[in-house]
Formats: sequence, structure tokens, C-alpha cells
Amino acid sequence: MKQAFTPLLAVFILAGSAFTLVSADNWKIADGYSITFSTDEASGIFKDFKGSIVFDEQNPATSKFDVTIDVASVNTGNGLQNKHLKSDEWLDAAKYPLIHFTSQKVVKTSSGYQVTGNLDMHGAKKPLIIPFTFKRTATGGLFTGAFNVNRNDFQVGKPGGEVSDQIKLEVSVPVTK
Amino acid sequence: MLNKSLILGIVSGVLAGIAGILYARVYYKINEADFSAVVSSMKIIAASLVAGILAGIGYTVLDRLLKKKGEIVFNFLFTILSFASLLVPIAYKLPLNLETPDLFPGMVIPMHFFPALSWYTLKPLFIRK
Repeated sequence: MKQAFTPLLAVFILAGSAFTLVSADNWKIADGYSITFSTDEASGIFKDFKGSIVFDEQNPATSKFDVTIDVASVNTGNGLQNKHLKSDEWLDAAKYPLIHFTSQKVVKTSSGYQVTGNLDMHGAKKPLIIPFTFKRTATGGLFTGAFNVNRNDFQVGKPGGEVSDQIKLEVSVPVTK
Repeated sequence: MLNKSLILGIVSGVLAGIAGILYARVYYKINEADFSAVVSSMKIIAASLVAGILAGIGYTVLDRLLKKKGEIVFNFLFTILSFASLLVPIAYKLPLNLETPDLFPGMVIPMHFFPALSWYTLKPLFIRK
């Protein structure tokens, strides 16, 4: 019994420390996040955003992002524009209710970090690279990032026309442990 | 004539403003859509007063220029301009923190007709021909 005690204790300590390491990387999305999109012609926000974030500043390779945006939560500030954007002519919220991003690889860069993953939107799945920064705050941390999405890659709207093909997205997500 | 039509414009503007404020409160109670951050009571009164005063000036000008046909043209113009002004709330972009922007035109559009309605209602009391 005494002989088994030390190895058992070692296993418990190891398991415990491993759990601590994993749980330390899990972040909860806090209130006050902002997902904005803009073109020269229109701009707005997505109000509903959720998902799981596993991120370790020291070891970004172990990080994992799996987040979704509720398409129906889009708000441009104009009721008619919202209706138009949710219609089958654009995002088709009834058929494709979610925009889903899952990461595959997170690396550190000179200006911050970069996540490579797949963006699933409007029935099309395309690879996407998002540069972002992470800052520690009093309550946890803050992710910020800005990137462009070509709406034609996802067959959103008709190519050309009044709305530019490149949609600029800016993300600011406060997180807590 | 200018004095009478200006007084009519101011009184009908105030009446339209009061009607607008009451309507906004009823609309809020029914729909729970609060747009007071964008359309405050002061703004409703001010916009209605401006519309009333402009109507008073416009009426005087058309009455002097077109004599008997002035009132007919004025009434047509006032109604047409009230309709045309609907484009403003329809295209208006609200702050993004406000919920249910689709309910905004429903609140503001009727208000755009209040100055004209007040004018047509009160005019026989102020200007008789």
C-alpha cells in the first residue's frame, strides 16, 4: 500500500496540473463584444455572437477558436436594410442562420497573432486568415482583429453592383476566465 | 396676412408637436420601442414648429403670388411635401445600439402628417376668405 502511494500521488499531481493547464486556456466570451462590418455603402453589427475560445499566449499552437454569429441578429440601424440583408438576396438568414468559424492553426506574428481556419457562411466553406491581438485586462483579456471577406467567395449578393465585394470586419471580444 | 398665417403656423405647429409627443408615448406603450434617444419630445416640438412656420410663410407667399389659386396650390404642396418627407425616416440610420429599427418608421411617419392636419383643422379659425 505504501509502495503504491507515491506513484498514485504523482499521477494525481500530474493529472491535476494537466487539468489546470487546460482550464487556464479556456476563455468565456464576456458582454460588450462588438462584431462590425462595413463597406462604402453599408455598415452594421451582429448582435449575437457565441462560441468557445481556448487560447494560450505562450503556446498559441494549442489554441482553438470555434465561434458562431447569428445572422438574424444583424443590425444596420435601418429596418428596411436589415430586412434586405437577411433576405435570400443576401445572407438568407432563414436558410443559413449561422456564420461559423473554426480555427485550424494559431501562430504568433510580429504584430500579434494569426489564426487560420474555415469560415462557413451562406452555405459555402472557405479558408480564412484572421490577424488579431490579445491584451490582458483587469477582468480577463481582449481579442481584437480586423480583416476582409470577399462576399463573392460565399455567393452573398450579386457580384459587382453598388455594394463593394470586399466587406471589412472588425472584431472586439472581451473574455473572462 | 403674414401675421395671421404665421400665428396659424405656430399654433398648428404646437398642436402637431403635442399630438406627436402623445403618439410617441402611445407607440412606446404598445410596441415597447423607445426611440426617445433619437426623437426626443423637444425635437418633435421643434420640428413641428418649423413645419408650421414654414407653412405660414409659404401660404403668405403663394397667396400673394397666385391670389385665388394660392390656397389650392398651397394645400397641394403641403400634402405633397408631407408625403415626400417620409423618405427621411424610411432611409434614416439609427444608432446601432437601438433595438428594432424596423419599428422606427411606424412611429415617425404619422408625425410627418400632423403639421398639415393641424393646419387644415385650424385654418378656418384664423383665416377666413
